Amino acid sequence: MQKVIVGNHAVSWGVKLARTEVIPAYPITPQTQIVEELSEMCASGELPARFIKVESEHSAMASAVGASAAGARAFTATSSQGLALMHEMLHWAAAARHPIVMADVNRALGPGWNIWTDQTDSLSQRDTGWLQLYCENNQEVLDTTIIAFRLAEALDLPVMLVLDAFYLSHTSEPVDIPDQALVDSFLPKREAHYKLDINEPHAFNALVKPDDYMEMRWHMHDAQRRALELYPQIESEWLALTGRYYGMIEPYRTDDAETVLITTGTVTSTARYVIDERRSRGEKVGLVKIKMFRPFPVEAMRAALKGIPRIAVIDRNISPGNGGIFAQELRSALYGSDSDAAPQFNGYIVGLGGRNVTPDTINGIIDHVQSGETVDRPDIWVGVKA
Amino acid sequence: MSEQNFNTVPLHTPPLSVSSSSTEQNITGSWKYIQPAYHDRVAPCIAGCPTGVDIEGYMSLLRDGELSAAMELLQCENPMPAITGRVCNHPCESRCNRANYDGAVAIHAVERVLGDMILEEPLPHWTMRKHDERIAVIGSGPAGLACAYHLTRLGYNVEVFEKEEELGGMLRLGIPGYRLPREVLDSQIARYKAMGIIFHTGMRAGTDIGWPRLTTEFSAVFIASGAHVSRLLDLEGDCSRQSLRSGLDFLREVNAGGRPDIGKHALVIGGGNTAMDCARTALRLGAEVTVVYRRTRAEMPAIDEEIEDAAREGVKFEFLASPEKLSGTGGRLQLACTRMELGEPDAQGRRRPVPAGGEPLLLEADTIISAIGEDTGLHDLQAELADAKLAMNTWGCEKLARVFLGGDVAGDERTVASALGAGKRCAIYIDRQLRQQHGEDIPEERLEAIRIGGSESLSMARWTNSDPIMRVSPQNDVVQPADINTAYFPREPRHNDRHAALLKSFEESNTGITTRDALAEAARCYECGVCNECELCRIYCGEAAIQLDPGSGRFVIDLDHCKGCGVCTAECPRGALVMERLANMD
Repeated sequence: MQKVIVGNHAVSWGVKLARTEVIPAYPITPQTQIVEELSEMCASGELPARFIKVESEHSAMASAVGASAAGARAFTATSSQGLALMHEMLHWAAAARHPIVMADVNRALGPGWNIWTDQTDSLSQRDTGWLQLYCENNQEVLDTTIIAFRLAEALDLPVMLVLDAFYLSHTSEPVDIPDQALVDSFLPKREAHYKLDINEPHAFNALVKPDDYMEMRWHMHDAQRRALELYPQIESEWLALTGRYYGMIEPYRTDDAETVLITTGTVTSTARYVIDERRSRGEKVGLVKIKMFRPFPVEAMRAALKGIPRIAVIDRNISPGNGGIFAQELRSALYGSDSDAAPQFNGYIVGLGGRNVTPDTINGIIDHVQSGETVDRPDIWVGVKA
Repeated sequence: MSEQNFNTVPLHTPPLSVSSSSTEQNITGSWKYIQPAYHDRVAPCIAGCPTGVDIEGYMSLLRDGELSAAMELLQCENPMPAITGRVCNHPCESRCNRANYDGAVAIHAVERVLGDMILEEPLPHWTMRKHDERIAVIGSGPAGLACAYHLTRLGYNVEVFEKEEELGGMLRLGIPGYRLPREVLDSQIARYKAMGIIFHTGMRAGTDIGWPRLTTEFSAVFIASGAHVSRLLDLEGDCSRQSLRSGLDFLREVNAGGRPDIGKHALVIGGGNTAMDCARTALRLGAEVTVVYRRTRAEMPAIDEEIEDAAREGVKFEFLASPEKLSGTGGRLQLACTRMELGEPDAQGRRRPVPAGGEPLLLEADTIISAIGEDTGLHDLQAELADAKLAMNTWGCEKLARVFLGGDVAGDERTVASALGAGKRCAIYIDRQLRQQHGEDIPEERLEAIRIGGSESLSMARWTNSDPIMRVSPQNDVVQPADINTAYFPREPRHNDRHAALLKSFEESNTGITTRDALAEAARCYECGVCNECELCRIYCGEAAIQLDPGSGRFVIDLDHCKGCGVCTAECPRGALVMERLANMD
């Protein structure tokens, strides 16, 4: 079934098709439509889930943790300040190994108060133990929601599904909505590996002494690393069912490319347009889209960028005092991988707080990196007013 | 340095912090010094009902949509809900735990709705054992009818003797039609006839049928002859019948269809229900009416709504006025009253009126009606019974072998509810006595066990072992407002009675509430003290120590793991759970 829906509702449809059982939710712009649609699906009975109204995002995540601890498939959604308020529970969800799926609609953190898109909110949660998957269009949003549950439950780790505020959340696109039977065959009912069971009661999450704590973190880290093998397998199954495949990363027209852009989210679509235009003029340009930020696909990126002389990372985020976060991650991933031919590597900061990233912005970046101008800092801010 | 190979999984450590053994071995129950228990306590409405109606029980059934079960439970305890739903002084509502929250549940109005439905229904199929004994009931007022009703249900052959030509006693003679329409009373009595109760009208016990015959032909006699003698007002001056009418006689005349000419101005002396009935009746005969009362509104013994209705209809009140002297000139009557003030409280706690000094209050009227109370004429009856050489040295039920006394004549509170309770109580006493004569052993404790909330009222459901919730002593304590967790009860205004606009008519003035409102009122009921499986205790128990027992359908507590935290009791909306101190902790 094809429907023209906004990105937020693509999430809701994914959650419904995943037969999610518990949805604790607290509203925040620009996420609210996700849980609003879900609440209506619950109220009408088409989604037989328990919808829990809570008093804060912290409680939303705490409730999802509780539901997951009881073996349920749980989902919530948030943005920006809401995600920040959840921070403690994000660590808890991951370390208690709850396969919760959450949608984060990327929104800038205040102050200055701002509701527009910016990746700093989700990237600030880098070290909580959550997997992070960034989406480019509404179809990818729906597909990734369903894939996220499958991945989370295989690893006993939570997955954050990330989409851009307004460019995706509030923009309508045609989306293919798969049949329930198809989704059921791909994503069976959750079978919790550990759960609260009054007939077989155990104590959970009690004190762990130095003797064992480190091993438990080893397990978490190991599960993150296993995602790098598992994710392509799961997506191949999805490909067989739907004909759609996204990949942890997606190289686009990188064969023989001399300049490669690194993009995430909706900036990728704009960049594809620019790449196509410049390719038609004979320029050897391409891009690599990063979908999976955690675990970071180090080997895949190394392979995709091997031999590329010029790399321009476009970051819609900022780690103040250092630079763009994707640039930092990628630079560290590439360090020493091809010591004979270290590429020119520029990091560009764009579009913070929802400022538009246009083809002109991206053309400017390509022109800049191609000019070979040396820059003695890790971050180049694009379009900052004098 | 021996390094851990990154790819070697340390199998001995689980991926998360989880106990290796079952926590069932951790008997957290050993920590506690108090523990919860489901007590099936008594709702204050039931404890406050002199008739002993299981109000909480039928409200709960109504809320669940079990209309016929609700009607059955109501009829089990109350022989005339359509009547009490109209004329009862409803002490249940003043005791309701919701009263000080958002208004008491409108029990009285709900009872009326159910009572009217019952009158439309065929008689229930009561399965009862049949006894051979015949029982005589003297008087067909509420006490007599109640005793006859319950004894018939218990399987006895009952005959009622009424000295008047019509049945109903005070219900017919004393209560005006605008409060209790005659068709309601008549259809209620028709049901008793259909049950098999035999009525003899125009037969006065002691004269038309002699006491020796009553006591020989019948296995037991229940005397409920009421209180029909108007107390005399002690006034200076001409107190002949033309000047000073007895309230009861006045009501009796009008209720029988008479429409006496009482002139333009009537004074009614007294502050009880008879006074209110007289005042509103006089108003309907076209007079302007003033009630003269020695104390103030707060001390008036009449039902609050009756006072409100009287005031709304235009009755005026002269409080703190004590009639002293009656005189008359030219067809007009003059009543001189001493001005009073309130002094020290009397034995019942009501402040006694004492003369305040100053000029007397002079009132003029065409008719003066005295309604200061009724007497039983009990002395006459005692003399008659003595003449019949009955072994009777004590009035009361236990000591007297075969004659039982109840209702107004026995000094019970002068209300319909109280009379109905007395009738039921004596029916149970008679049943017990007769069964004991047949060799059954029914100890005193059995009577104690059917006493509701420590009151005088007895539970017929418990007596017949048909109580759906066998509430038994010593778990007979009454739920207090502090036991209710009001967080679970959103405030919702009470549905009040509506009144017809037909003032000065003998049509029924209070039109009650609708069936829909009655169901909404049932939903407002806290269901004090009785578990209705709302599950909050189970949901909140952190030890998962509360589970539903599929066999009994009730919750059971795993005391090995209940650590006595009390969250179940705190969350219980209705006080059905209480924390008990463990015996070994004292």
